[in-house]
Amino acid sequence: MKSIFGLFLVLAILVIIPAVEYVFAAGDEPGGYLDRRVVIWNLFYRMMTVAFTVGAVVSGTIIWLCWRFRESNPKATPTPYEKEGVW
Amino acid sequence: MVLELQKPRPIWQIMFSTHHTDVGLLYLITSLSFLFMGGALALAIRAELFFPGSQIIADSMTFNRIFTVHGTTLIFLFIIPFASAVGNYFVPIMVRYKDMAYPKLNAIAFWMIPPSGALIWLGFADFTWYATPPYSIISAPGPAADMWIFGLKILGVSSVLGAINFVVTILKCKHPDMSIGQVPLLAWSFLTSSLIIIVAIPTFAAALLMLLTDRLGVSGFFNPAMGGDPIAYAHLFWFTFHPEVYVLVIPAIGMMYEIIPRFSRKPIFSHSSGIFAFVLLSVVSFSSWAHHMYATGMSFTEKTVFMIGTLAAVPASAMHVFNFIATMWNGRIKFSTPMMWAVGGIALFFSAGAGGVVNAAMPLDFQTHDSYWVVGHFHLFVMGTIAFGSIGYLYYMFPYVTGRMYNENMGKVHFVMSFIGTVLVFFTQHVLGLYGMPRRVFDYPPIPEWITMNQIASVGAMIIGTSMVIFLINMIHSSAKGKLADTDDPFNLGGKYYYPFESKNPHHH
Repeated sequence: MKSIFGLFLVLAILVIIPAVEYVFAAGDEPGGYLDRRVVIWNLFYRMMTVAFTVGAVVSGTIIWLCWRFRESNPKATPTPYEKEGVW
Repeated sequence: MVLELQKPRPIWQIMFSTHHTDVGLLYLITSLSFLFMGGALALAIRAELFFPGSQIIADSMTFNRIFTVHGTTLIFLFIIPFASAVGNYFVPIMVRYKDMAYPKLNAIAFWMIPPSGALIWLGFADFTWYATPPYSIISAPGPAADMWIFGLKILGVSSVLGAINFVVTILKCKHPDMSIGQVPLLAWSFLTSSLIIIVAIPTFAAALLMLLTDRLGVSGFFNPAMGGDPIAYAHLFWFTFHPEVYVLVIPAIGMMYEIIPRFSRKPIFSHSSGIFAFVLLSVVSFSSWAHHMYATGMSFTEKTVFMIGTLAAVPASAMHVFNFIATMWNGRIKFSTPMMWAVGGIALFFSAGAGGVVNAAMPLDFQTHDSYWVVGHFHLFVMGTIAFGSIGYLYYMFPYVTGRMYNENMGKVHFVMSFIGTVLVFFTQHVLGLYGMPRRVFDYPPIPEWITMNQIASVGAMIIGTSMVIFLINMIHSSAKGKLADTDDPFNLGGKYYYPFESKNPHHH
């Protein structure tokens, strides 16, 4: 239960709250966009911070995967499926 | 497996064949020809933008013609026919059927492509691949514009015919022992993308007719002077072409689903989540078209709905990326050329997706709209994800098509240069957009930052161009004189694949 609550908390911080802010930052009146430029750039930088953080984690994982599980790595061992000969 | 080039035949036997591998070969050669033609135009564009002012292109009209044909060629005459080539080759084999469901229809769908390509190239229209009204209906010069409209019309019919064939082949002709859930993910990618085509393309077909009758002056659907509305065209166009983005990307992801388990020497981590993500993507592809139009004065509610609809694609895309990562985990990965392209494609897919989230968030979209950010984002998807997946798969299928192996070192050099070039061009274009450079411009003011970034992008484009020459030499030389491939295991991975290839399939002997 705690982990589910924690997951929702993270989602709320990363996704829901910023999404609501983006929606209302735009406003509805045509001239309003320029007035909100500072808010929008602030949101932009925050979103980019999140994107770069997630991107660094995913890219780092991919790079590590490629390094660790390449067949020339001394630690590489045949997968169970290779022994069976079918995958 | 399929060895057309190892058993020489007169060329007309291939040209007038309706067998799925022959039609696939025709699709393949046609699409690659258009890749090089469209790519040459891209190099001309980047050379022109190396410095402010006119460089190698005489005027803005010619520049507009070049980037219109560049975009139209690479989207409609390279990416889609390339996917059809792969589908034609592999879908019947994967579902264990002797051919496509309607072989003659299949050949007809292919033979619509060369004339439409000729119409587009001989006309050389200037109104962008979006055919921007009201310019396209009031003052775009004919017959170029009309030829473009007819070319696209024929291509649309070809796409729909091809899509019907894929859907029927997969759903109705698969082997009775094979449940739909067991159909390989590449075939699933063709099923979902074909369904998108069938639903989406008729809208653009109607819009093209309306565009044509507007040009002829007998209607005024998009002509403000006759009470029409160009924004209506934008809705019709994007209703087709935002889902079309997924038509382009879903088969490329399907190709990665073939490559990554093979070279990781493991089955795919979750077959069912791959299917679910494809279906989810195909559904949400229709909930996001108006995010291209935030700046057209849509209401707050409409913008909010389409922003959420667009962001709904994120979980499905993340499922694919997670599936790839989990498949590679604990594998024993052989980094042959196809695997390098697939992994590079995943990394760039993620980067392109992150930029797409910015475009989808409506307040942020106002900062990036019609700037070079959009050019960078779109091209990062098209080149970084779709072309990377496609080219990787081309290397993967090369021994099965030709019976010979390509030169591995040249393939790896091709990948490394293309990856570096892609990052240089399209990441830089994102930043250029944030510096305020508008897209679709022939000239730009001599702002030092703009000049520097344009030059970085142009150098990147030249690197990609050089790598493509290496690729072309490799393909031509290896298909004629490459080392003979062991078609049971051309990449020396050991083991057998989980679906029967032709050599194990009595229908293909």
